[in-house]
Amino acid sequence: MSATLHSIAGSRSFRVLWLMHELGEPVEVVPYQIMDGSLQQEGFKALSPARRVPALEIDGRVLIESGATLQYLCETRDGHDLMPAVGSDERAEWLQWLHYAETLGAGIQNLNMQHLFLPKPEMRSLAVMGIETKRLAIALKGVEKALADGRDYLLTSGFSAADVMMGFTLSAARHYVRFDGFPHLSAYQARLEARPAYQSAQAAEGAQQFYTQDFYELPEA
Amino acid sequence: MQITLHHAHEARSMRILWLLEELGATYNLRSYDFFNKSLRAEAYLAIHPAGRVPSVEIDGKVMLESGAIAEYLAEQFPDAGLHRGSDHPERMEYLELLHYAETIGQHLANLTQGHIVLYEDWMRSPTQISLETKRLAKVLGRLELLLSDGRDFLLASGFSAADCAVGYGVWLAPRFVSFDKLPHVAAYRDRLMARPALQKALPPEGAKRIYSKDFYEVPDV
Repeated sequence: MSATLHSIAGSRSFRVLWLMHELGEPVEVVPYQIMDGSLQQEGFKALSPARRVPALEIDGRVLIESGATLQYLCETRDGHDLMPAVGSDERAEWLQWLHYAETLGAGIQNLNMQHLFLPKPEMRSLAVMGIETKRLAIALKGVEKALADGRDYLLTSGFSAADVMMGFTLSAARHYVRFDGFPHLSAYQARLEARPAYQSAQAAEGAQQFYTQDFYELPEA
Repeated sequence: MQITLHHAHEARSMRILWLLEELGATYNLRSYDFFNKSLRAEAYLAIHPAGRVPSVEIDGKVMLESGAIAEYLAEQFPDAGLHRGSDHPERMEYLELLHYAETIGQHLANLTQGHIVLYEDWMRSPTQISLETKRLAKVLGRLELLLSDGRDFLLASGFSAADCAVGYGVWLAPRFVSFDKLPHVAAYRDRLMARPALQKALPPEGAKRIYSKDFYEVPDV
């Protein structure tokens, strides 16, 4: 039986979909939207008790953490080079990038909340928006610095699942931080987006609906 | 193995301090004050460019990200029994919980920011604090469901590194969310508190703490 991915286009679910495409694993996409109540359906709560996406039904079980899902897929699927083995030189670095991508993801989620989902300006906190934007820029600078030695991907040995975690993060981060000062990051992101699996996953995901602008400026204090 | 942990009392580095104690590892501890500028000192920024904790030096290599460090250390000390390897039947749950720890952690970080780091009322968004409190309760609800079959720890086979990762959040959460409707989570927290290794990871008597109140009420919206 093929896997089923419960997904919101433009969310962390894209990480899972992209990796499935990198692995050549068949997957059916069930689309949801944030604001239309589809996450509140009873059937979905049974799959994902906190009503979050992604939720991947695979091998008779459900996974909801994108980072854990990527690790699980890498460990249970053969014929790829997307994960350094336990005990290998790059293992620590790989794990760190995998989690680091989600540290950035948390910052983006907070900015999404402030810019997109708090309906009235007085509900927002300009202090939070400023802090989160600054922290996101600092965290991106860390990636820029790692790439400055000319490597093509996060690991010097080549493309891995850590890039899948990070690639989604970068496309979301661009809504809040300009990449002008990050030449290596920009080139890296272009390399990721040029991958056939990235493109086919994007086509399968459909259009995202919650970002209505390419860039969100910080509001004036 | 030479291990140095950079730590601030009650911060995410508590996960790693606790885990090192559970593993019976030998390590050096460097403690920092979360509120003064010691995490922004040049010497520390050379280790962690964003000035956050934890960071760990392992045989001269630096690792950031508590989730990655916890996974890696558990892998490195297989005999301690806190790891569930890729051939273990609980591997999927183990990975899911290790990553879920940060899903919980992100809400706690946002609440810490809202209640404590942003010290002036005008800086805060009561709407955001209220939403984050609800989301924290929701993600704890998933643990309540998991623990309701009577298991003592998150995995049916017993205590693992996932308990240190998630347990940090469970230790902290009652400062923001009442556990009245989470009896299994409350009993689980008591079991964690009874572990000598967790007791060793708590701030010593009289130490400066991040969380000085027992409970942080949601401000009026």
